[in-house]
Amino acid sequence: MGDYVVFHDVAWHGIYAVYFFVIGISAALFFLSALSWFREEYRPLRTPAFYGSLVLLAVAGLMLIGDLSQPARFLNVLNPAYWHMTSPLVWGTILLVAFGVVSIWYFTTLGKGDSAGKLPAMIGALLAIAIPVYTGFDLAVHQHRPVWNSSLVPVLFLGLSLISGAAVATFLARGDPRLVAALRQIMLWGSGAVAIMVISLVITTGYGGSAEELTYAFMTSGTMGMTFIGLGLLAGTLLPLLVLAVPMGRQQTGLMAAAVLILIGGISLRYSILMGPQIVQTFFS
Amino acid sequence: MSEELRLSSIETRGVQGKKRYAMVIDTRRCIGCMACQVACKAEYDTPLGVNRTWVPYKVVGTYPNVKKHFLPRLCNHCDDPPCVRACPVDATYKVDDGGFVLQRYERCIGCRACMASCPYNARFMLPSHRTYTKINNVVDKCTFCFHRVTQGLVPACVQTCIGRSRVFGDLNDPNSEVSYLVTRNATQVLRPEQGTKPQVFYIGADRNQTEYGRDLYFRPDVMEEDRAAWSRNLKI
Amino acid sequence: MIDSKISRRTFLKVSAGTTAAAAAAPRLLQAMENQLGGKDFDPVSMTERKAIPINCHVCNIQDGAIAFVENGRVVKLEGNPEHVSTRGRLCAKGNAGMWYSYDPDRILYPLKRVGTRGEGKWKRITWDEALTEVAGKLDAALKEDPNTIMLKWGRNRTGGTLERFMHTLGSATILNHTSVCESSKKVGMEPCWGPDIETPDFANTKYVLNFGSNILEAAYFHNPLSQRIAEGRVDNNMKIVTFDVRLSNTAGFSDEWIPVFPGTDGAVALAMGHVILRDNLQDSDFINTWTNVTVEELREHYKQFTPEWAEKISGVPAGTIERIAREFALTRPATLFTYRGPAKHLYGSYNEKSCMMLPIMTGNIERRGGYCLPRGMGWPQPDPKPGKPAKDSILAHPPEYPLASHKVSHLTPFFITDGRQKINVYFTYQDNAPYTNPGSMAVWGKLYKDEKLIPYLVSMSSHMGEETALADIILPDCPYLERWEPESMPNSLWPWLGIRQPVHPYLGESRENRVLLRDIIWKLDPDGSRGMKKYWDFKDGEDYMRKHFDNVPGLKEAGGLDFLKKHGVWPIYGKLDPKTGKVVDKTGREIQAEYGLHKKELSDADMAGAVVDARGLITKNGGAIGIRRNGKNYVGFSTGDRLINVRVDEWADYGFSPMPTFKRIPWHETMKEDELIMTTFKLNVHKQSRTAAVKWLAEIAHANPVWMNPQTAKKLGVKTGDLVRVESKVGYLVTKAYVTEGIHPKVVAIPTAFGHWEYGRLATLKLKEKPQFGGQDDPDLQNVWWDDKGVHPNIIIPVVADPIGGSQGWMDTVVKVAKAGPDDKYGDTQGSWDKHYEAFKETMRYAYTGDLHRKMHPEMAAWGGPESVKHKGGHGGH
Repeated sequence: MGDYVVFHDVAWHGIYAVYFFVIGISAALFFLSALSWFREEYRPLRTPAFYGSLVLLAVAGLMLIGDLSQPARFLNVLNPAYWHMTSPLVWGTILLVAFGVVSIWYFTTLGKGDSAGKLPAMIGALLAIAIPVYTGFDLAVHQHRPVWNSSLVPVLFLGLSLISGAAVATFLARGDPRLVAALRQIMLWGSGAVAIMVISLVITTGYGGSAEELTYAFMTSGTMGMTFIGLGLLAGTLLPLLVLAVPMGRQQTGLMAAAVLILIGGISLRYSILMGPQIVQTFFS
Repeated sequence: MSEELRLSSIETRGVQGKKRYAMVIDTRRCIGCMACQVACKAEYDTPLGVNRTWVPYKVVGTYPNVKKHFLPRLCNHCDDPPCVRACPVDATYKVDDGGFVLQRYERCIGCRACMASCPYNARFMLPSHRTYTKINNVVDKCTFCFHRVTQGLVPACVQTCIGRSRVFGDLNDPNSEVSYLVTRNATQVLRPEQGTKPQVFYIGADRNQTEYGRDLYFRPDVMEEDRAAWSRNLKI
Repeated sequence: MIDSKISRRTFLKVSAGTTAAAAAAPRLLQAMENQLGGKDFDPVSMTERKAIPINCHVCNIQDGAIAFVENGRVVKLEGNPEHVSTRGRLCAKGNAGMWYSYDPDRILYPLKRVGTRGEGKWKRITWDEALTEVAGKLDAALKEDPNTIMLKWGRNRTGGTLERFMHTLGSATILNHTSVCESSKKVGMEPCWGPDIETPDFANTKYVLNFGSNILEAAYFHNPLSQRIAEGRVDNNMKIVTFDVRLSNTAGFSDEWIPVFPGTDGAVALAMGHVILRDNLQDSDFINTWTNVTVEELREHYKQFTPEWAEKISGVPAGTIERIAREFALTRPATLFTYRGPAKHLYGSYNEKSCMMLPIMTGNIERRGGYCLPRGMGWPQPDPKPGKPAKDSILAHPPEYPLASHKVSHLTPFFITDGRQKINVYFTYQDNAPYTNPGSMAVWGKLYKDEKLIPYLVSMSSHMGEETALADIILPDCPYLERWEPESMPNSLWPWLGIRQPVHPYLGESRENRVLLRDIIWKLDPDGSRGMKKYWDFKDGEDYMRKHFDNVPGLKEAGGLDFLKKHGVWPIYGKLDPKTGKVVDKTGREIQAEYGLHKKELSDADMAGAVVDARGLITKNGGAIGIRRNGKNYVGFSTGDRLINVRVDEWADYGFSPMPTFKRIPWHETMKEDELIMTTFKLNVHKQSRTAAVKWLAEIAHANPVWMNPQTAKKLGVKTGDLVRVESKVGYLVTKAYVTEGIHPKVVAIPTAFGHWEYGRLATLKLKEKPQFGGQDDPDLQNVWWDDKGVHPNIIIPVVADPIGGSQGWMDTVVKVAKAGPDDKYGDTQGSWDKHYEAFKETMRYAYTGDLHRKMHPEMAAWGGPESVKHKGGHGGH
């Protein structure tokens, strides 16, 4: 009746999804910028993508700090004496700090000749791959959480990072046909991979034990279902995949539309994958 | 579990020379009086809206064949606690001797990774306002009354337990009351499949309460209004 | 926290000492290795908190407790580990008791009303102004008639000062709250075996029949008896069977819950008696030796109460009655407990008597594991003592209820309105009648708002309750943690004397009650010339306690008051081992409680000059002191003939059935298909009216939807959370439905303690306002997350008075429940004075002077009518 009233909060609120989204784009933009050292078609992206990456890295960093209940203590996490290496948050800290340092190094090489930027680009690109993977581990290491505790999640977050970054890059490409074609390839194959991963997650969750079964119910119905399946999978992954696959996807407007859909899908999937699997736990009295 | 089979070096159950504190909750003796929950609030000046220990109940059956079950809950002080490995700054740690899982409030950054990792909802964020304690906006949890136990007392919830349903002691001592109860009774722990090795043992716990997710099938509806009010009004 | 005093590495050393002792102890007898209590430490600084032994007084169970003080403030309350009866444990309410003291809305200085009554406008005045005004009013009243000064308490644990105050003034108009509490239970028991309560030996029994008691949540004696129920259940493999209309925590805990139709427990109990006597399972020796009836008489009388008859009335299948009756009679030892379930009905006293007949006829009285007498302990009153008032008060002892030894206080507003007794000054103490009594504001609010009927209302209170809000003047009393009070309560088989002592000085300008009363008397009689002051000659509360305690035999040798100040409790015998909960002797060996109190033999000194009559009754100096049985002189029971009076002849004098019987509630027999019975109950974390401002308790329970069975809900088309309108013959309310399998389909139930319209900002959820009466705000109240305060049901409950016990029939209200209409809002309540007054007139018809009395008692056709007993004019003196 009204006489039992102890309730539990979700551990992480929706704002973390925005962080995942932003840091994913930042990493992917760096990756694309770095790619320009090895693939000529990406050359126009080198500077704008990097600047975009840098700005978003700053935003993500501030979000991460602002989201702590003790923001001033973010210094604790920078203190190696406190580091607890089993926590993906430490991996993230190291990766982000390294990424920031490499970004600055990379920045100093931008004006210089071709060979100067190659090394920071290479190191930065590896970090840019590792960062979305670590955000996936942020979730995946919690063994009792349905959906999260899957080896697919880090890969999925990498895929989402890449296509979200490519989608943003589409708007930085200024219609360069070779670049646009390359970005389309990334988005097309990336969305395909994301779609397969999301569908796999949905199916394995639906066929799981009681916690997974309930999570499946939460994630495929109501507002969460709308976000996850509607916006995330259908509108944000399968629809752009379709658009990109048909001739319309080779045109500028089609590409732009697909990019916008991918960004919507990127935030929706992150949000629902972050929040949906936490619901069942709040009901464990 | 024998020493050779132990998977994690952090575990101290059965390790000679170390204490492994545990609680046995005999649900046959629990009368659902809530004394433990309130005693705990007093011991720690715990703010409203959050709890270190709590006592959910479940009414099962169809009239007139109906029964009410209680399941006192608290941190399981897992022998292999996932929260410890999730904490980036070692603010959450396990006391080697005794097995207490504790929190360094002055170090906690409030990232909530430990809350995400706990399969038992034992951890919570402290709100900004408390009556007299100046520790706020960090994660808090049951400490097994470390400050009392290390000074020779039982935890506050055990102290006040009317039915003597809660019993506390050292499981590594074969002569302790908890060892006796765990040996002589069929016991259950919560979510054993998570590999956390909980150190809160239940006697006679009902599966309607221990099975994960089962609550969702029998949600008392009026409580939902309270749940909504709690989510709406409590600022944490 | 952790890094300060004890590092985690060195911890082993700290607690190594306990292991060695543990290993030496016999394995199976060993209890927890760590100490249960008596000490407490601050979790942050790890420093020890100061411990002061006290006696809990959140409710009236009177658990021994310890207050732990830090920085001048009580931060923790625990049970007193030296207390043989309550054994070092407290309930949820007891654990939260410090919030009476630190409630930000506590009244901390005298207040005088400036608006109209109940308007909520107050002026702070000095104590001197307050006392002068009160003394002036008393002076005027005394000139007219001392009995126009009335005092009504809800809870009186002063140890006699309230009575002393009234006797000093010469007024007999002293009222209590027992008729809304459990009075018919008391009146069912007292004439039968003497005391007003039983002590079931739950720890040692094998079988428990529980009729309508929710002992695991409320009732006398929640904490100490619950401890022993858990012990009996697990350590002694007892079986417990609960009869209740609702799945209380007690019913939920029990091995069997048997739902009964409200008010019919007595019929079930009689039918069980029928089975026991029919099958010859009774203890004939006990009946023939220790009661005033024979087995044959009893069997003949019980022939009428067949299980089939009871099934029709109660809905409990005859087969179940047969089975439980046999289980009860064939399992030894067995015991029984009742509380408000059977008692709070029109004929509650009959129900109680029928229930207690079961342990009597099976000879389970005063045996180990059986149904025992209470074990209390008295203390002397300081001399000189004022004499009793010259004239009795009609309100205190209404002549229509001569057997109601615990008064009929809930009828007071009607009696006053009818002009039965004039009131000039009305004192209220720890009472809250406009909230706790039937009719609520429709009755008591009406009375208090009428300045002709109640010209001057003085509230001695620490909180702005519903009643205090209507007062003319408020004298700020102290909550229990700041008072001196003597204490003893028969809350288990282990008798004790205890003390309540202040944990710190009175907060603000508040004064503890005995000091406040003294100050009134001193103001009234400053030089002692009126002969009042001499009864109030004490320096402070402690001084008064010394007068109580320094001359109690046994305690005196132990150190008197100083012993109690240090230990909080003086066990009459035995010593508690707090780890095991067993009572031990000096050598640590477990000892048994004393049993067989009635079989205590009289000494030669007692017998010197005593006379033994043909029936064995031993009298001395005109009073019965014992009973001779089988050649031995026993003290027997504390009744007139020292026997258990199965036949209560005093009842027959007034036309009531002297033998165990059952009367159906007439309006329950004529209920229509769509009508239901509304009952009320208490939850584990609340008491009647004074816990809604305790934040930790309010957090656990703050709203009170109406319970209904799914079958009922289906008929009404209602689901949990829907608004419903509950309507009785005197009013209606609109509340939320809570659909649960745990209730009888013909019953709806609403818990009390909710829906306050006064009692401070937390109880009324007006937390945006600031504390008004000098209290300090609690930052934690910013975390109050609930926004539903519930709906109080009493306004739609009409008065019913048990014509024998005088008890309110809380569980007799017939209601109609319907889905709320478009104009109904959550929390709407309405009650009409006129209709409540009609209900009062109706219930008076069942009194022995009323016209329905004879109709209800065809078996008493030979009774001579009310006129035949008028000359006795008596009132119970218990």
